[in-house]
Amino acid sequence: MLCVRHYWELMRKSREFDNILDECLESLLTEGATVEQCLQRFPKHADELKPLLETALATRKASTIKPSPDFRDRARYQFHSALQEMGRRKSGVFFRWGWQPRWATVAATVFALFLAGGSTVAAASGSMPDDPLYPIKLATERVQLAFTFSAVGEAELHAKLADKRVAEIIHMAKENKPEQIERTAQRLVTDLTKIALLSSPREVTSSIAMAPAAEEAPVAEEAPLLTQRAGGGKEAHDKVDRRARLKEIIMHQADNNTARLHALLETAPESAKPALQRAIALSETGYKKALESFREKP
Amino acid sequence: MPGEESLVQRAKQGDREAFAQLYEEYFDRIYRYIAFKTGDRVEAEDMTQQVFLNALDAISSFKWKGISFSAWLYRIAHNLVVDYLRKKPKRAATLVSESPAGSDGNPQLMAEHSLDIERLLSACQRLTEPQRQVISLRFAGELPIAEVARIMGKSQGAVKALQHSAIVALRKALLGTDEEVQRI
Repeated sequence: MLCVRHYWELMRKSREFDNILDECLESLLTEGATVEQCLQRFPKHADELKPLLETALATRKASTIKPSPDFRDRARYQFHSALQEMGRRKSGVFFRWGWQPRWATVAATVFALFLAGGSTVAAASGSMPDDPLYPIKLATERVQLAFTFSAVGEAELHAKLADKRVAEIIHMAKENKPEQIERTAQRLVTDLTKIALLSSPREVTSSIAMAPAAEEAPVAEEAPLLTQRAGGGKEAHDKVDRRARLKEIIMHQADNNTARLHALLETAPESAKPALQRAIALSETGYKKALESFREKP
Repeated sequence: MPGEESLVQRAKQGDREAFAQLYEEYFDRIYRYIAFKTGDRVEAEDMTQQVFLNALDAISSFKWKGISFSAWLYRIAHNLVVDYLRKKPKRAATLVSESPAGSDGNPQLMAEHSLDIERLLSACQRLTEPQRQVISLRFAGELPIAEVARIMGKSQGAVKALQHSAIVALRKALLGTDEEVQRI
């Protein structure tokens, strides 16, 4: 009987604390209250509340996730097309696709690239962000990433893409297109952040366990060191070697690309310089973060 | 959203402008919710588009039966995410916020912000599905507890308890992540 009473007392206290926590979260999330203000309201529970509210504050960063401008434009166009279509076809059959998993999307992209034709895809590979073929270049890169099956392989590919982004920024600066410089710099940040995450020991170690043995990273001319793949069956050692080589590549790229972008500041049109300076700062910070992820030996 | 009921009513009757307004209102939030739950930008983009196409397809049958329009939209998103999580390959995915808000264009802050979000998403992947659901709806969807309870089909008390356990688990996961980061 005593046990049952004790259990119900615990339940009551637990419910009471859940309510207090929620009240504090509501204040933090919607009223802009501080952790301290919440703790002052519930001093009896301050010790227990404090770490939870600090975690909640860190979690609030989730509300800053935003779709990329490219995607927003593309999605809005597609949605408005669908709205027009709805006006014409009330039956709605057009929309009765279920969501397709990533591989279906990739397959659809591959099919679209196939329809676009080999010569178009080849032409797109050299396109710049202001070029009509540029979306095909991005789609091709997305397919390459989808067919890369390890963290190290994916990081290598992002390193090559980062090199391409820098080349595009340089081209756009020469063309005096600041908006395209900004957009491309965001894509560069994406690639460099992914390198930082994929190169961390946790990702490399887990991918050794998870990746298919026959994984082969796509090779591009910007990063020749990556072509020197280690042979043999010791996959774990191969990955560690590849990670070390990737670090060298990133160091080389960081120096080289930073120097190229700084040199461009001398000759770029005045109106492109502010965007270029932001791109340089983003590039430097991004490469620094990427290199920091290599500090620990797995 | 003020005037939402009348907008939904108009959208149900085929008013394209009304639906477009609802789309603009919810697009970012639905994207954020899906991105947070899946941790994958590419999938989040595909699924966000599909949520609104599905909603467009089904809006005529939507009824205010104790469920708001936003709860209905999140249910569509939730079903797509559940379907995705069931089928997805066992492989770590990463998401990068391309336009971090609150960094005021400061590159250092932008880069750090992106990594913070990546760590948060990575930590969230270690929660149980109901815990991740409540955190996604509460923090990424920015919904009040009553709305979260309606979407999850649970009592508010149950959701509050789940929220508590989710934050405790998230704290442990984040501390684990941070310790590793500090060792790097």
